[in-house]
Amino acid sequence: MSIATKGRLSFPGGIHPPEKKDLTCESPIQPGPVVTQVAVMLSQHIGAVCRSLVRKANMVQAGQKIGDCDAFVSAPVHSPITGKVTEVALRPHAVMGRSPAIVIEAFPDNPTKRTHFKLKDGFDVNNYSAEQICEAVRQAGIVGMGGAGFPTRVKIEPNPRLPKKIMIVNGCECEPYITCDYRIMLEWTDEIIAGIKLAKKASGCPEVIVGIEDNKPEAIEAMNRALESSGRSDGIKVVPVKTKYPQGGERQLIRSILKKNVPTGGIPPMIGVLVLNVATCAAIAEAVVEGQPLTHRIVTVTGEAIARPGNYFCSIGTSVGQLIDFCGGVTQKSARVILGGPMMGIAIADLETPVTKTTGAITIITKEQMGKAKFTRRQTACIRCGRCLQACPENLNPTKIAHAVKNNLLDVAEACYMSACIECGCCSYVCPANIEITGYIKTGKIFLARQKKKIPQ
Amino acid sequence: MLRDITVSFGPHISKGLSTRSVMLDVIVGLVPAMVAAGYYFRIHAILLVVTCVVSSMVAEWICNVIRKKLNSIDDLSAVVTGIILAFSLPPGFPVWAAIIGSVFAIAIGKMVFGGLGANIFNPAMVGRAFLTASFGMMMTTWMVPATMDSTMPKVSAQNTIDARAQATPLALSKEAQKTESGAPQVNQQLLAVFTGEVGGCLGETSALALLIGGLYLLIRRTISFHIPLAVILSAFVFGTIAYLINSEAYISPLTHLCSGGLLIGAFFIATDPVTAPLTRRGMWLFGIGIGSITMLIRIVGEYPEGVMYSVLLMNAVTPLIDRLFKRIPAGGKPGMN
Repeated sequence: MSIATKGRLSFPGGIHPPEKKDLTCESPIQPGPVVTQVAVMLSQHIGAVCRSLVRKANMVQAGQKIGDCDAFVSAPVHSPITGKVTEVALRPHAVMGRSPAIVIEAFPDNPTKRTHFKLKDGFDVNNYSAEQICEAVRQAGIVGMGGAGFPTRVKIEPNPRLPKKIMIVNGCECEPYITCDYRIMLEWTDEIIAGIKLAKKASGCPEVIVGIEDNKPEAIEAMNRALESSGRSDGIKVVPVKTKYPQGGERQLIRSILKKNVPTGGIPPMIGVLVLNVATCAAIAEAVVEGQPLTHRIVTVTGEAIARPGNYFCSIGTSVGQLIDFCGGVTQKSARVILGGPMMGIAIADLETPVTKTTGAITIITKEQMGKAKFTRRQTACIRCGRCLQACPENLNPTKIAHAVKNNLLDVAEACYMSACIECGCCSYVCPANIEITGYIKTGKIFLARQKKKIPQ
Repeated sequence: MLRDITVSFGPHISKGLSTRSVMLDVIVGLVPAMVAAGYYFRIHAILLVVTCVVSSMVAEWICNVIRKKLNSIDDLSAVVTGIILAFSLPPGFPVWAAIIGSVFAIAIGKMVFGGLGANIFNPAMVGRAFLTASFGMMMTTWMVPATMDSTMPKVSAQNTIDARAQATPLALSKEAQKTESGAPQVNQQLLAVFTGEVGGCLGETSALALLIGGLYLLIRRTISFHIPLAVILSAFVFGTIAYLINSEAYISPLTHLCSGGLLIGAFFIATDPVTAPLTRRGMWLFGIGIGSITMLIRIVGEYPEGVMYSVLLMNAVTPLIDRLFKRIPAGGKPGMN
C-alpha cells in the first residue's frame, strides 16, 4: 500500500523559513552526557510551582519524587539521578528569570545511566483503566513536551463540561533546526502508538488524528506502518499536513486538520479537541507501562556553531553548558544560544540554565545565520508594507499592536486583540524594517498583566 | 568562545528583507519604463530622471541634517520618489522646475510628516500636484518621441498636423468628448499607445514597459496583485460603460488603460506601501477608488488625466479604510464564544 505523504491541509498566513533540519535529522538518538550534577527546576510547567520535598544533604534515588504541589494544574518533578541534594537554590530559568531548583550531585563512583524503555510484545491497552492511566500520568509528572508545558493529566482527564471528541497528535515540528520529534517518530514509533492508545482511552476520544508535516515522509510512513502492525487502528489515522511555520502551533494544527477555530482566548477543549505532542505520547506510554517518571527527554543540540550536532537522550536538569561541552563545544564564533528553535526559542546568556521538561532543543547560531540586521538590531521605520499582516496566522494587525505598545498605548493594543497573539514570530521574521514586532507584543502582554494586577479587585 | 553571545527577543532569524531591498526591487521594476523613456525621449529622459533623483536625495539629506536624524538616504526611497516624479513630468519640462518639484515632494510630501513611513500622501504625487498648480502650462506641453518623424502628419481629432507639440491620446480623447467625434481615430493609435510611441509624460507612455516592470514586482512579491488589479478592473469597467454609451465620443477602455498614467499608477504609485491600506479588503477598496475616480475625471471631468488626483484623494482616506476593515482574530472576537 502506498502512503500519501503530500499534505495540502493548511491554514492562512504563516511563513517558510529555511528548515535546516539536515544538520541533525540523520543522527539517531544517542545517550546524553553522564552528568555529575543536575539542577531540577521546581517549575517546569504551566501552573502552580512545586514545593521541594527534599532538603539539603538528603539522599535521593533516581526517579524519586522531589517536588510536588496540591494544585490541580501542576505536575510533580523527579530526580533523574541517584545522589545527594547539595542545595535548593536559584538557577537561571529561560522564562522566569532566576527560580528555585533542586541541585543534586551524583555519587561519582556510581553514575546513573538510563536508557529509554522499549515496548514489550503483548502490550494491551485494555490492561489499564482510564483512572489508572490518569493517575500514572499525574504521578510521572508528564507535561506537554512540545514547548508549552501544560500538565498532561489535566488535559487528558475527561471533563464533563467540555467533552473531548477528537484527539490530535502533533508531529509537525515546524520550528527550523529541531529534529527531536522526528527522531522519536522514527525510533520510538511503537511507544508513541501505545501512548496514543492510552491517552485515547483515558480521555475517551473516539477519534485520533496524527498530523505530521509533509517534509517528514519517513515519519509519516513509519507511523502508518506501526499503526498497521499494531493491529486494529482504533480510529487512529495519520494525515500529512503542509510544511509551513507555525503548523505545529495547536491552534494552527486544529485549523488545518479540522477547519475549526479555537475561540480567541480559549483552549482546544472548548471545541472538543485534545492536542498532544508525539514526545508526550511516548512519555505517557513509559509512565503507564513502566511506571517511569519523566526524568529524561530528547534534546536536539544543533546549529552551525556546534561541533557535533545531534539528538541526545539526556537528564532533565543537565545544564546547557554541559550539553554543549558534550557535543564538542562550539566551533565558530557563536552569536546566540537559544533554548528551543530560532523562531520561538529564548536566547539565554547563562550557560548554567538547566534543561527542563519542555526544552526540545538547544540551537547555537552564528552571526551569518542571524543576518546582519538581526545581529546589529538596527530597526528602521515601519513602511506599512503589510507583510506582517499577511504572515500572521492569527489574522491580527501586528504592526499596529507593536506600535501601540511602543507608544505605551496598551488600550489601543488590546483593541487590536494583542492577547490573541501566539508569539510565533512570523511578523518579525518577514519585517523589512527589522522591527521586533513579536518582542513589542510580548512586552505589551507583560505590561498588561502587571497593570491588571495593580488594580484592586 | 561563548563570550560574545547576545540575547534578544525571538525570532532570532529573519527573512533578510530590508526597506532598501524593497525599494531596490521597485527601482528594478521601473527600469523597463526608464529604458522606454530613454528610447523615445533620449536626452530629455536622462536629464529629467537624473535631476529628480539627485535633487530628491539632496533634499532628503538636508532635511535629515535639519531634523538631526540619522541619514536615511540609504533606504533608497528618495530615489524611487525621484524616478516616479520624473516619469510623471512632460519630457520637455525645464530642469529648474523639476528641482523645485523634487524638493517639494521630499520636504513637504514626506519629511515634514516625519520621514518615510509617516507621510500621508505619496510624495511624488504631492510634488507633481505642486508643479501642476504652479506651472500649468509647462505641465501640459508635450513632445514628440524622438523615434517619430516630426514632419509626418499625425492623427488627431481634427486631423490637423501638429509637429512640435504632440497632443497626448488623452488630450485627443478630451477633444473627442467635446466634439462627440474622433474617438475611433484615437483608438486606432492603440498599438502606438501600447508601445509608447506617443506624446505624454516621460515614463507613462509605454504601457508595455510598465507591464513588464509591474510583472517583475508581482513575481518578486514586492507588491501584491490586489491594488493593481482593482485599479485596472474598475477603470476598465467604467471605461466600458462610457464606451458602450457613445463610442464616437469616448475612447475604448483598452486605450484608456494603456494611455496616461493609469498603469504606472496601478503598479508603482498606488502600491506605495506607506500610503496604501494594510488589509486585503482595504486594498480592493483603495484600488477601486483610484480606478473609478481616475475614470470619473477622465470621462466627466475637465482634466484629461486624473491618476494624480485620484491617488491623492484615496491616500487621504487610507486611515479611514484601515479603520473600516479592522482585522478580527482568526478565533473570533474574545468573549464571543
